[in-house]
Amino acid sequence: MKHKMSFIATVLCVLCLLSQSILRSAANQFLGIAPEDEKYYKSSEVIKCKDGSKKFSRAQLNDDFCDCSDGTDEPGTSACPGGKFYCRNVGHAPLQLFSSRVNDGICDCCDGSDEYDGKVSCPNTCWEAGKVARDKLKKKIATYQEGVAIRKQEVEQAKVAMAKDEAELSKLQSDQKTLKRLVEQLRERKEQIEKAEERERLQKEKEEQEKKEAEEKAKQENSGGEDQEKTKAEEEAKKEKSEDVEDGSAEDKPIESQHDDNVGNLDDSHSYQDTAEKHDDLGTKDGSIDTPEHIGSLVDGVQQEAVKQKKESVATSEPDFDGGSKVPHDEGDDASENTESLSKEELGRLVASRWTGEDTTKESGEVDVTKDSDHEDHEELPKETHDEQSDGYASETDDDNQKYDDEDHEDEADDDFGVEDHSDSGSSYKYESDTDSDLSDVTTLSNPSWLEKIQNTVRNILHVVNIFQTPVNQSEAASVRKEYDESSAKLSKIESRISSLTQKLKHDFGPDKEFYSFYGRCFESKQNKYVYKVCPYKQASQEEGHSTTRLGSWDKFEDSYKVMIFANGDKCWNGPDRSLKVRLRCGLKNEVADVDEPSRCEYVALLSTPAICLEEKLQELQHKLDLMNKEQPHAHDEL
Amino acid sequence: MKKTQTMKNLTLLLLLLLLLTCHLSPVLSWKKDEFRNCNQTPFCKRARARNPGSTSLTAQDAAISDGELTAKLVLKRIEQQETTPDQIKPLLLTLSAYQDGILRLRIDELDPPRKRFEVPDVVLPEFEGKKLWLQRLSTETIDGDAAPSSVVFLSDGYEAVLRHDPFEVYVREKRGNRVISVNSNGLFDFEQLREKGEGEDWEERFRGHTDKRPYGPQSISFDVSFYGADHVYGIPERASSFALKPTRGPGVEESEPYRLFNLDVFEYIHDSPFGLYGSIPFMISHGKARGTSGFFWLNAAEMQIDVLGNGWDAEAGIALPSSQSRIDTFWMSEAGIVDAFFFVGPGPKDVARQYASVTGTPAMPQLFAVAYHQCRWNYRDEEDVEQVDSKFDEHDIPYDVLWLDIEHTDGKRYFTWDRMLFPHPEEMQRKLAAKGRHMVTIVDPHIKRDDSYFLHREATEKGYYVKDANGNDYDGWCWPGSSSYLDMLRPEVRSWWATKFSTENYVGSTPSLYIWNDMNEPSVFNGPEVTMPRDAVHRGDAEHREVHNAYGYYFHMATADGLVQRGDGKDRPFVLSRAVFAGSQRHGAIWTGDNTAEWDHLRVSVPMILTLGLTGISFSGADVGGFFGNPEPELLVRWYQLGAYYPFFRGHAHHDTKRREPWLFGEKNTQRMREAIHTRYMLLPYFYTLFREANTSGVPVARPLWMEFPSEEATFTNDEALMIGSSLLVQGIYTEHAKHTSVYLPGKESWYDVKTGAAYKGGKTHKLDVNEEGIPAFQRAGTIIPRKDRFRRSSTQMVNDPYTLVIALNSSQAAEGELYVDDGKSFEFQQGSYIHRRFVFADGKLTSLNLAPGQTQFSSECVIERIILQGLSTGQKSALIEPANQKAEIEQGPLLLHSRQGPTVLTIRKPNVRIADDWVIKIF
Repeated sequence: MKHKMSFIATVLCVLCLLSQSILRSAANQFLGIAPEDEKYYKSSEVIKCKDGSKKFSRAQLNDDFCDCSDGTDEPGTSACPGGKFYCRNVGHAPLQLFSSRVNDGICDCCDGSDEYDGKVSCPNTCWEAGKVARDKLKKKIATYQEGVAIRKQEVEQAKVAMAKDEAELSKLQSDQKTLKRLVEQLRERKEQIEKAEERERLQKEKEEQEKKEAEEKAKQENSGGEDQEKTKAEEEAKKEKSEDVEDGSAEDKPIESQHDDNVGNLDDSHSYQDTAEKHDDLGTKDGSIDTPEHIGSLVDGVQQEAVKQKKESVATSEPDFDGGSKVPHDEGDDASENTESLSKEELGRLVASRWTGEDTTKESGEVDVTKDSDHEDHEELPKETHDEQSDGYASETDDDNQKYDDEDHEDEADDDFGVEDHSDSGSSYKYESDTDSDLSDVTTLSNPSWLEKIQNTVRNILHVVNIFQTPVNQSEAASVRKEYDESSAKLSKIESRISSLTQKLKHDFGPDKEFYSFYGRCFESKQNKYVYKVCPYKQASQEEGHSTTRLGSWDKFEDSYKVMIFANGDKCWNGPDRSLKVRLRCGLKNEVADVDEPSRCEYVALLSTPAICLEEKLQELQHKLDLMNKEQPHAHDEL
Repeated sequence: MKKTQTMKNLTLLLLLLLLLTCHLSPVLSWKKDEFRNCNQTPFCKRARARNPGSTSLTAQDAAISDGELTAKLVLKRIEQQETTPDQIKPLLLTLSAYQDGILRLRIDELDPPRKRFEVPDVVLPEFEGKKLWLQRLSTETIDGDAAPSSVVFLSDGYEAVLRHDPFEVYVREKRGNRVISVNSNGLFDFEQLREKGEGEDWEERFRGHTDKRPYGPQSISFDVSFYGADHVYGIPERASSFALKPTRGPGVEESEPYRLFNLDVFEYIHDSPFGLYGSIPFMISHGKARGTSGFFWLNAAEMQIDVLGNGWDAEAGIALPSSQSRIDTFWMSEAGIVDAFFFVGPGPKDVARQYASVTGTPAMPQLFAVAYHQCRWNYRDEEDVEQVDSKFDEHDIPYDVLWLDIEHTDGKRYFTWDRMLFPHPEEMQRKLAAKGRHMVTIVDPHIKRDDSYFLHREATEKGYYVKDANGNDYDGWCWPGSSSYLDMLRPEVRSWWATKFSTENYVGSTPSLYIWNDMNEPSVFNGPEVTMPRDAVHRGDAEHREVHNAYGYYFHMATADGLVQRGDGKDRPFVLSRAVFAGSQRHGAIWTGDNTAEWDHLRVSVPMILTLGLTGISFSGADVGGFFGNPEPELLVRWYQLGAYYPFFRGHAHHDTKRREPWLFGEKNTQRMREAIHTRYMLLPYFYTLFREANTSGVPVARPLWMEFPSEEATFTNDEALMIGSSLLVQGIYTEHAKHTSVYLPGKESWYDVKTGAAYKGGKTHKLDVNEEGIPAFQRAGTIIPRKDRFRRSSTQMVNDPYTLVIALNSSQAAEGELYVDDGKSFEFQQGSYIHRRFVFADGKLTSLNLAPGQTQFSSECVIERIILQGLSTGQKSALIEPANQKAEIEQGPLLLHSRQGPTVLTIRKPNVRIADDWVIKIF
């Protein structure tokens, strides 16, 4: 048995070698040349290097010595670093290899033609591999076919919806005109009525005044002078206080008193709190407060405070600023000044954090004790974002070979493709945008009969109300006022709707408006503990429980609508502002998958969508499949 | 109103300043205050305060015993007002001579209450076999001394002198000039161990850490003078100029001494005498007049060294022989003994050889380790690894090794994997191995104190950890949190550690996996100066203070031994270490630690690598791109262009940085980095030959110019350029948007630009135009460089590729070069299994001569496909190959195959002679 086996092995081996040597002698000279290129090499005895640098004789073709720097003379060997080797891969797709792959001991071509020096034996796997590839390609084509159809529909729908939007806009604009006129008329009428009423009132007052004057002539009071004195005294006191805090600095004193003069009538006790609140606001709103803008606004805040403040000196406001703007790195620096007071563990964490950027305060307790309890929130925030970051970095992600690609990998036959590959819990929904919340209202507004109604009402009112009548008819005046208020409210609604529509229509929805349906929608993907939200034309975020990190605001499409860019997200500690690149792939549903952070704070995600299932691409794929089918050998059972 | 404005402005300014400091802090965040300076280091402060001539010892009872010269150093009885108790007992001095002009000086206490620490396992065991058996000593009265001096033979040209009173030891040329001397300035001091006096406080405190110092003061200090010296070099590791600047003396700004204390320095700065991760107490002097000499003090305790500027001792009134130019230095160490080696040179390569005979030559690396390494903290998961790997292929950029940093482990427990991120580590390694590539994982010396972690359990049970001052297992803080540190000083701990690297014990490892030892200074985040307390205790009650600088050395050694064991002694290990000590070259490669993506750090990498090379560590490199920060593409490209010539060539980055693999910066920059990496691969045969040269001679791969041109003063302080072997000169570009640079080309012969083939005259500075495509690199006329011009995915696939010889003829139409080839992996080369050829071009003939002794079991079918001739004065047309009697054509061919518009040069087409054979090619 054993003998038989080894015999078979020997025969196979010999056959193998035979076939290889046949391959060598027969095809050697034209090895590695693409069929469409053969003419170039066969046409004459002296061949030009394609870059025009040189000429070489037919004998020098594939003689394993590099003559042309572009590799023209060595398509079938590794002699020229710039060369390319073509393998036919009958049964599969042909391939162009770098010449560095020729006879390097690794089978690159499925037909094994790149390894012919006998050092390794590469079995021909084109049939099997080709079948897999064809099946894959077929699947991809199927996806595309369906995707193209969906896309067509969506493009149609988008056109309709957009036309509707545009129609609504122009309708709204004309309504706005009409309504504006009406409001104007109502306003005039209202003012006339008010004037009339004012006249009446003045008349009445005059009469009463005369009566009163007669009665209270003798009694008089002087309260204004007292008031003035009080203010002065207050100011003195305040001045002293602020000088105390300022250590009586000579330069500051006059400035400070000038201050007082300017802001003397502001409520002191309030100004500090104001600023503090401002800080809090900043913190909560943006999740992180160490972005330049935030610091900028903090600067403003503190500045305003400096102007306003009286009891609180700059000295008190400073630590306040400090607390608000502190980034973990600073904490490290500050703490390093007095590491002696730290426990061993705290010190260890602190020093480790220099490399890792991890927050040391969280686990080790209060390394950096904040004096001002008002600012606890500020301390919290950078911490939180920071934690997310480091966790996010280590987070697990689903398989996708093309994760960090900057190029479009759809062109590659072996691209792992198709919606079914992504089983993420992706979902999409429409978001309730502020502008759209008016929608129902505005729909009612845009009802023409409604507008007519207003017009009629107004006409009636204007007609009926007699402004020269004295006294003014109270019910008529009230209805004018009511109508005015209602109409102007409606006008402002229309105006806001117009502006939101204009904003919307300004966006780039792609050459066929295929991305129109993305407007006002969000796509979600849950990965581990994070929920990623991608809202085209708006923003993208990463959510964990109640904390939200902004990955970026909508920026633009890139790479001919194959990539969506979200930029200027929340600041990363020790890194750039967060950003998200969403790569689009043809798929049947709009689904986000594979959010990842290949580089610190630079996220990438994959969104499958029918919106980019292009007809041309489908044809290309079909052509590729046709080619692959054509190349199939008739008799596969050669050996 | 105006004042309000001023106030506003002031506030703004203040805030801006605050912002600015916040912004700048990462750049200037070297935490200087966390490290002790000399004044905060009592032994250093004491030593530095002493005056020349204060030694009160004389040598007595000089005699030859057991082939060595011994003597007692005793306190002078005369006019000594106050005899402190620690100076009462005599010291024992031993002088021994070794082959090749090496003098060893040992001074220890005669009968100390506690044995002082002597560093074991650094001096090669075979070194003892090179000891000369001294027969006799002669006496001679020097300079009218009261007592005669003892003189012993050292080598044919040199003798050693022990001057009795004042006590002094020196080496001199026979009956002639001095070379190196100890205690010529009378600064020698030896604090003897003694009983603690009443009420004495030996504790030292620094930033909340207390060092108990149970054995009290025990420091040693002395002066060393180098004669005929223009500059001194060596004593790594620090980021500073190559030629050591004086630290004391007139006109020298207040400076710290050069510190040798292995430390993990966060964001080190590029120009500082401050010590970094490694310590090699070996100084080399070089001068035009006398040549080169060296002094090595084998001592692992903290050391501080002053280089004394001319006239530093003006007030001391000591007259040293002044006919020679001299550089005085002052060496201080906290503990240990005097065990010092004098190397007489006289050439730079002689000193390298002499030093290597004491501490060993660099290990011969595997071929793959000499190629390009790709690292990042961290390649996060298997997918990331696969992705990066395939991208290299996609862009036709070769690389050999992919590295995984600490995040690959399960919670920083080394020898484990984070199974979420790396569920199939073996398969991952096999996939890389299928492309001829290797993987390196990190294994650090801190062991997580976690009872469920097998290493911790075993180490605890076996009692293998370093102990704290109270005798408990020392508990420090590092990546895993609370950690303990193995006592690598103990041979049994090292053997135990070595077994952990077998593929059975290291689960998830395969034979294509190699190791990276980081943090082995050791780095302890909550320790004094970010390291282990000095009063921690090692085997035999050695204190950490005595062992410190060698801790990483033993760890490196044990790891390398582990890999040798794993491969049954058939696979050369590869271990990269950050900590360095004398002798580390035997265990593997070194890198210069956590540098920064700044131009100055690119520049300082050259003196750092040159210094390491000069002190024996040939296989070194800096992180290409800079570890911290994000390099601009231009800086990154420049770094690749220079890094391609580092002996150890690895790209690495901190985890906060942006991805910076070579294809991420646009096609132009990809092309530039690809070309830089290709250059390295093309020169692999040359590099490998140089690694072998280092392995046999101790002469480093990357050399200072003066190592090749010892008498050219213009090269003595040049640390912008480096020689790769004796044939290539390379100079980095260290500024942004550089349009020109000045390059000094030494020697009388011409130099050929390796890219353009243009010839430049030697012995002058050339102002050159530069572009972004490359950095200046020149082949010296009179040399032959072997190359492999075919590109492959990794060095593994290049094994069978043919060679190109690049011959640059000198003015007498001659050239020479060597080629060394072996299997690239195993130790069989040690049994003579290699090809070693010398190519000699002279009289119009190129001859291949065999340098390998006897029959070699190793052979190769590789041929030479192309021979490039530069500088040939007459127009020869063809070549005749003997003994085959074949003709080969000579034609115009490209100097570099991949450059499209490159120059053409005379090329012998397809001589196809085997590298294993003897042959002659005649040109006519």
